[in-house]
Amino acid sequence: MLVAFLTFWEVAARLAHNIGIATFSDTMVAAWDLMFGNGRIWEAMLNSNAALVLGFAISAVTAVPLGLAAGRSRILDRALSPYTAILLAIPVAPLVPIAITAFGLSLAARVSIVILFAVIFIYVNTRAGVRSVDQRLVEMAHAFGASERTIWTKVVIPSAVPAMFAGLRIGLGRALTGMVAVELLLVATGVGKLLLEYRDRLQPAYVFATVLFVIAEALLLLELARFIERKVAPWND
Amino acid sequence: MTDMTAVSTETQPPAPWPDDASLAAASHGGPMIELRGVSKEFLGDRSSTTTTHALDNISLTVNEHEFITVIGPSGCGKTTLLRIVAGLIPYDSGQVLVKGKPVTGPGPDRAVVFQSFALLPWATVLENVAFGLETRGIPRAEREEQARVLIKTVGLAGFESRLPRHLSGGMQQRVGLARALAVNPDILLMDEPFGAIDEQTRRIMQEELLRIWGYRRKTVLFVTHSMEEAVLLADRVILMSPRPGRVHEIIDVPLPRPRGRETERTREFTDIKELLWDKLRVMQTV
Repeated sequence: MLVAFLTFWEVAARLAHNIGIATFSDTMVAAWDLMFGNGRIWEAMLNSNAALVLGFAISAVTAVPLGLAAGRSRILDRALSPYTAILLAIPVAPLVPIAITAFGLSLAARVSIVILFAVIFIYVNTRAGVRSVDQRLVEMAHAFGASERTIWTKVVIPSAVPAMFAGLRIGLGRALTGMVAVELLLVATGVGKLLLEYRDRLQPAYVFATVLFVIAEALLLLELARFIERKVAPWND
Repeated sequence: MTDMTAVSTETQPPAPWPDDASLAAASHGGPMIELRGVSKEFLGDRSSTTTTHALDNISLTVNEHEFITVIGPSGCGKTTLLRIVAGLIPYDSGQVLVKGKPVTGPGPDRAVVFQSFALLPWATVLENVAFGLETRGIPRAEREEQARVLIKTVGLAGFESRLPRHLSGGMQQRVGLARALAVNPDILLMDEPFGAIDEQTRRIMQEELLRIWGYRRKTVLFVTHSMEEAVLLADRVILMSPRPGRVHEIIDVPLPRPRGRETERTREFTDIKELLWDKLRVMQTV
């Protein structure tokens, strides 16, 4: 499957004779150069990921507790629902200029965009996880004299873990999107800066290679999330 | 899938119970559960004003060490009755007393076995059986020791570290039974515990329950929709009528114990079962 795709890519790119489309082999050469030649990818990745890591971490530590609480508290859920509806409905990209106006061309601006992209999906999924807890298990816990605290730690949170992780995985993908989007749109730094620069210098192989690095990172992070999920919730696979 | 029948029970001697001393001394044979004119209504949907009269003026006394089964057509409120005694839902009027004290919620003197098993899917057999002890704040080592004893009692030795989804339905309910017994309650409340289990396994579970009950006579309130089950297990069968749920009749089952499969072949068993069917037949609207 992969081999077929790569062959298709190579052949199609050669036949296209388009200066904007790099062949698979040229892309690999460029990737090698980015890693071990000029080595620019490392600094770019590090720079970009600062926003990703910070933004995703902030998203997770706010959205998970809020989602847990809103899943069980009707009042909080009602209070939050207009904002969650807005965050779910609007496209985030138009907010990028607003963030720049507020924070300038800073790390804070990039972090805030990553949060805007990621936070809602983590929240919504965590809330849904709490909502879907088997009420028969909650009743069982009551019957055995469990306190509200025990019901939370022994029934509700374990039930919500799979949905919570689904939210974290989606949120991670969105955070990556946000990270690259903001760099392309306004704050030319990190991976985004590389992409723009190589595009302007008509070096499509380098553009393609940089995109491959972003994809590789995304796959790696998702695999890591899945690994952690299996460790935390082994009953779910 | 590992089947119930693969679990050998003959080889397991009656294991001692967590606190063995109390029972013989504490036996007074007095009323354990008393219901006095208990009624319960369920409100319909928010939009409608209809209410369901689930229970109407139920009066009933269950004595210590008695095995009571409750049977009746669907909608007669038998499960509601059990949940009220468990303290899981409030009642509208009347009085529910357990050991002479009004029921205001769940208590350590009662343990419930659920039709749906209600096992925590992420917890092992051992952790599930120990759950009721955990909620009571008993330290890990102690509660696991007690849980292991009960796991042996229900014939699940060797399955301690399995997850529920790796067990058959019958085995899962053994876990449910062990969890209830582990807290050493005075009263076992069983809500159609074998209703979701296939016929062959159910018969084995009935014999198992009788075996376990035979050497530690908890007071049991057992809801069922099986006439054979109701008669085989009970000292008295509470026959309920539907809409509103009322105690229609209480039928004594003076069959000798210990009971088993051979009991079902006796004339007396068949007579009581037929009597029960005659009475149920009248209520049954198909």
